[in-house]
Amino acid sequence: MKIIDIAWKDILRALRNLFFLGFGIGVPVLMGGIFYFAFGGMASDNGLDIPQTDVIVVDLDEPDAAFGGFAVGQLTVDALAQNESLFKVTEMDEAAAAREAVDNQEADVAVIIPAGFTAAAFDPDGEGEIEIYQDPTLILGPGIVKGFVGSIVDAFAGASIAVKVTDGQLSEQGIDLDQATLWQVYAEYGGWAQELGESQQAGTGSLFTVQSPLSGEEKDTNAALAMIGGVMMGMMVFYAFFTGASSAQNILQEEENGTLGRLFTTPTSISAILGGKFVSVFALVVVQVLVLIGFSSLIFKTQWGAPIPLALAAIGLVVVASSFGIFIMSFLKDTKQTGIVIGGVMTVLGMAGISSVFTSSVPGASGGIAQIIPLFTPQGWAMRAWELAYGSGGIGDVLVPFAVCIGLGIVSFLVGVYRFKRRFG
Amino acid sequence: MRVIDLAIKDLTQTIRDWKAALFLVAMPIGFTLFFGVLFGGMGGEQDPRLPVGFIDQDGGSILSIHLSDLLDASDAVRPVVLEESIDKVEKKVSDEELAAAVVVPEGYTEHTLAGEDVALIVIVDGGSSGGSAAQNSIQTAITRLRGAVQAARLSADAFEAQGGSPNDAYLAGALDRAIEAWREPTLTIAAAQSGMAIATEEESAESGVYDIPYAHASPGMMIQFSITGIMGAAQIIVLERKSRSMQRLLTTAISRVEIVLGHYLAMFVTIFLQLALLIGFGQLALGLDYMREPIAIFLVAVTMSLWTAGLGLLIGVIAKTEEQVIIYCMIPMFVLSALGGAWMPLDVTGEAFQTIGHLLPTAWGMDGLQNIIVRGLGLESVLLPSGIMLAYAIVLFTLAAWRFRFE
Repeated sequence: MKIIDIAWKDILRALRNLFFLGFGIGVPVLMGGIFYFAFGGMASDNGLDIPQTDVIVVDLDEPDAAFGGFAVGQLTVDALAQNESLFKVTEMDEAAAAREAVDNQEADVAVIIPAGFTAAAFDPDGEGEIEIYQDPTLILGPGIVKGFVGSIVDAFAGASIAVKVTDGQLSEQGIDLDQATLWQVYAEYGGWAQELGESQQAGTGSLFTVQSPLSGEEKDTNAALAMIGGVMMGMMVFYAFFTGASSAQNILQEEENGTLGRLFTTPTSISAILGGKFVSVFALVVVQVLVLIGFSSLIFKTQWGAPIPLALAAIGLVVVASSFGIFIMSFLKDTKQTGIVIGGVMTVLGMAGISSVFTSSVPGASGGIAQIIPLFTPQGWAMRAWELAYGSGGIGDVLVPFAVCIGLGIVSFLVGVYRFKRRFG
Repeated sequence: MRVIDLAIKDLTQTIRDWKAALFLVAMPIGFTLFFGVLFGGMGGEQDPRLPVGFIDQDGGSILSIHLSDLLDASDAVRPVVLEESIDKVEKKVSDEELAAAVVVPEGYTEHTLAGEDVALIVIVDGGSSGGSAAQNSIQTAITRLRGAVQAARLSADAFEAQGGSPNDAYLAGALDRAIEAWREPTLTIAAAQSGMAIATEEESAESGVYDIPYAHASPGMMIQFSITGIMGAAQIIVLERKSRSMQRLLTTAISRVEIVLGHYLAMFVTIFLQLALLIGFGQLALGLDYMREPIAIFLVAVTMSLWTAGLGLLIGVIAKTEEQVIIYCMIPMFVLSALGGAWMPLDVTGEAFQTIGHLLPTAWGMDGLQNIIVRGLGLESVLLPSGIMLAYAIVLFTLAAWRFRFE
């Protein structure tokens, strides 16, 4: 009963404390909110709503009577302009002015179509190059423009290749390629490419089907919400360890204030006093995790996954975050040293442990070493459990990181308890 | 002179505390290296392209071989031939060991060459950025493969129209030619970047800020930890107020304005020296050319130090305890870093986020630094970012001076 009394007193004190409310609840919710705001606006039923890219097009290509007034340049400009949801197209006359606009960050990308591009497209030996000039700090928009323009260029390059292949194959058979056949190959390839492009755009193309690696079903259409879920997990893991450490700091605070010594003079065993302190640490992390899960489910619509894997991830986090707090505080002499631990050590371990939150938005940054480094921290194992439980993860998926969290928690707790008992015994 | 004396006293106090070195230097360098490594800054892997699993269930058929070649010719992805079960490959994609996987189903070549539509299977996590990038490159390779088949078919039709009878060898020869031609198409895209040399699309499919090692991590961590750097100096103000040293100071000839300026100067010098050290580290150890525009980088560093010191002074004024200083420093550190694009480029976020991000000095700091090291721009390009940071410095300093309490 005394354990509960001591724990309850500490819990009440923490709940009235700015540090717990600010760092334990306020900041994670704020950070979750920031990322929700960052990516949530991009989420829709159809997946990612990509922000518009400002594109300047300089079309120096000329329509040619020989091709019935057709020009690849104009086709490219029209195709870009028709995709209003993706591109905000502005036309300019001079390449230098367009590059300058990108340099001055007035536009994200400049597409410069050179003079004679149409002529090159319809000459099997002709060469042409469309320049895509971009702000080097941008990733998403320029990549989409490149892919879009690239598919148009590929259609014409493919037609040229078809003509060249036909010419080469016929030459081997001792036949010269006549103009009529040449134009027929161009036209038929062009028709095929256009049909293919339209079917791809309409989502009816049969080139390939996309399969999600997790469910074996069609890919997740709401990638942005999955990203927000990852951020919320990261914030919860990061700040749960802060709560564990700052709650355990209360033992040092009471020691300094002399209230712990006074408590030792009462007919209460050291085990009961320390037990009460430890219970309060665990209870505060439980409160924090429950509040954050509930809050993000309600406000950010986070889909946490099946109850049992979720419970395992939550228990693992509570055990390892609380015990690690007790463990780390048992090595400190006084509260003066806690600033460095809370501000430094926990930040370093936390950021390393949840690094997947930062790397997930950068192509190629989330595999390999990014998967290994976090596992050198307790935060990394807790994060792994949450990542595996999230969405469609089953109990079997979560078991290993859960077991590691519990193992690390038990070892940390035993060392922490041993050191505190020896200190006050 | 008294302002300088007070600043020197604060600086000495900061330097004597070994923890200051951790927050000011060790942590930003550590995190720059850490994020640089995560974002590919080390360049340790021989082939930096995204790994894409390649499962050939069509028994080494001609189209699977050509598809593998076309994927290999891509600058963004590299095929990794796998002979594992689909389940295991799915797990690898899910664990992001592979960016994606392509499955060539049995009979793909036979049916495709016969003019039937057979779809390949692409296993990819739509929520992963690596997966999205890989999917684009896979789509290009598959389209080119089908284009090559179409070219071979048109060639066969032309031969037939001339009285010939194309056999399998003819088709295979035409396909070989088409695939070979796709290795160096005559119509291409040249990707160019402001301040950077022009490279062909094939050489820079993944061009951007992450092509320059540490180009995002270095300025990002510099900005984030400059905010942490004010923690020690803000705590000095709180301590002086709590221990009533500040009240004692007022009994001397030093004026209130001089006290405020002294503390502000100490914070400015601390942050400026921290930035100078991190810029030097970036220049010498990370190969980032900060010093290509020395006046511009000086201007950015000065204005960044001014606004950060203003924030530090304000925190020192508002906080009543050392614990509060930590909270008041950590909250803006996380919020301003995240919103200002210090952790991830703002262009991967939504439009509203980008707009709000650019209301903050951190985003302008990132712009100023990246204008020099990534965009390759000159002094003129940092005038606006520096001006905005200076405006923030004035507002924060004014607020701090107004709220300054000596007891």
